[in-house]
Amino acid sequence: MRLRAKLGYTAAGLTVLAALLTPFLLYGLIAKGFVGLGLHVDEMYSGGPKLRSVQKGDYSITIHRAVYPHLLQSENSFVQLDWSPVSALPAHVSDAVDIDGDGQPDVRVSFDVPSDPKAQLRVNVEPLNPRYQAMRDVEKGRFSRLIVRVDNAILVRVPLAKP
Amino acid sequence: MATDTQPPRLARPATRTMGRSVLLTLPIVLWSFLMFGNPSVHQDLQAHIAGAMTAVFMIVLFFMMMKTGTTYRWRRWFFVSLGLLFPIGFIHNVIAMRGTMGIPVEEMIAGRTPFCFMPIPLLILPAAFTRTLVFPGSILPNGGMSGSGIAAMVGLWLAITLVIGKGWCSYACFFGGIEEGIAAVPKRAKIRKIDPRWRYLPWAVLLAMVLLSLALFEPAYCMWLCPFKAVSEYVAARNTVGLIQNGIFVLLFAGLVIALPLLTKKRTQCSFFCPFGAFQSIFNKTSIFEVKIDQSRCKPCVLCQNACPNMSLSKESVARGEALMSCMKCGACVDACPRQAVVWHIKGTDVAWKPERARLMFLYAAWAMAVMFGGSIIAQGIATILHFLA
Repeated sequence: MRLRAKLGYTAAGLTVLAALLTPFLLYGLIAKGFVGLGLHVDEMYSGGPKLRSVQKGDYSITIHRAVYPHLLQSENSFVQLDWSPVSALPAHVSDAVDIDGDGQPDVRVSFDVPSDPKAQLRVNVEPLNPRYQAMRDVEKGRFSRLIVRVDNAILVRVPLAKP
Repeated sequence: MATDTQPPRLARPATRTMGRSVLLTLPIVLWSFLMFGNPSVHQDLQAHIAGAMTAVFMIVLFFMMMKTGTTYRWRRWFFVSLGLLFPIGFIHNVIAMRGTMGIPVEEMIAGRTPFCFMPIPLLILPAAFTRTLVFPGSILPNGGMSGSGIAAMVGLWLAITLVIGKGWCSYACFFGGIEEGIAAVPKRAKIRKIDPRWRYLPWAVLLAMVLLSLALFEPAYCMWLCPFKAVSEYVAARNTVGLIQNGIFVLLFAGLVIALPLLTKKRTQCSFFCPFGAFQSIFNKTSIFEVKIDQSRCKPCVLCQNACPNMSLSKESVARGEALMSCMKCGACVDACPRQAVVWHIKGTDVAWKPERARLMFLYAAWAMAVMFGGSIIAQGIATILHFLA
């Protein structure tokens, strides 16, 4: 048998072996290697890393780092604010939030907290700093301006004013 | 005189005795037991029954491949079952977990969008340039909606691809079976002449979608063009754009997955549109298994070209003695050739030398993957049906 044929059969045998090892070893190794690449999900979805939390009585407001769109991404830049836990929120929330941490409030965020977790939320945002855009009765039409309930938190995304 | 020099027509070489077929099936029996025999994997009685039914189904199909020496029609039973049962199990799962087939924005933000293999080529450039995955899922293998994050699917895809190359499209893709089943319904094709240039369209779709995904930073194919959104999950129509997207999904499904396969008896979505299939073709170059044409036996009769469900054989490629790189290794051409000129082949070996050995090695690898991946999906679909019946 020629060398090329021997190599071919060896490779085919190794391929069958790889198939047998896939569920027990190969698949897990590749998945682990993929996680090890250090990739992250686009912040337009995940909301950006958390910067700090502000305690407001029984609940807290978590402020995320501003998220900016890539290239031709059809969204505005925004800042995500999380109110949690939902069970500790009053029926109506109206909080002035210092987003940039300079001691001055930047936006006033107001929304109702319905008891039905599936009820549609609406948010009003009054900018106290020209860096942020106003929102009136906004639901969840766009990733960069919305209010949604995710698990035990209510997330508000406030769009940044265009420079 | 030319006909005198050609080898005589052969009887099908691989028709085997019952005992030998059973013997050759034993490894798959053992493998199926390993995949479906673990009681900790299946929680309830229906899942146990579904696992057992799937194991028997896969073993019987493999046995028939061994007994008859043919591949395509038995593989098709598996593949069509996979295509039909995937939506049943999947849709039941998403409706049970979130109450709708539409992906709510809350689930996207929470990183719970199930990740299928289709966006994999679309993620490469954004990840390479910015280390960012443009998909609203979870990276961790046990993340996502049902504990199958992006890393889990990437791991499975790459492992299976290393083993069978573009055979993924015939032994693992949980969408292609729908159109393969539909293409099998009519006795004859109404449209028989298809311009071979359509074969380049998936490459064009792939290029466009990869560049658009980088520019728009979203999985453009999933957002705008995937016909299978119609039978899995879709963008929840929150606005007019969402309605347009869903309309496109339904139209593409009706056209490419139902109407055209009925008219052409081809897998038209796979052949003329699927960007993942085009991407997967690249891995046929790295796969050790391929389909070749033994030109000493071939009398160009075009039976193989007619049988190929995705036009991976052309007059020129047959003359060169090989299938095109888009070959899905389904075995239709091998089974269709009355002269056994189309053969399974291991790279590096002589074309005509022990093709049945090459077929066996490929089938063991491919069927092991089919039982592991497709089998678990079939079992989930059967379990869902049993839940409804119970």
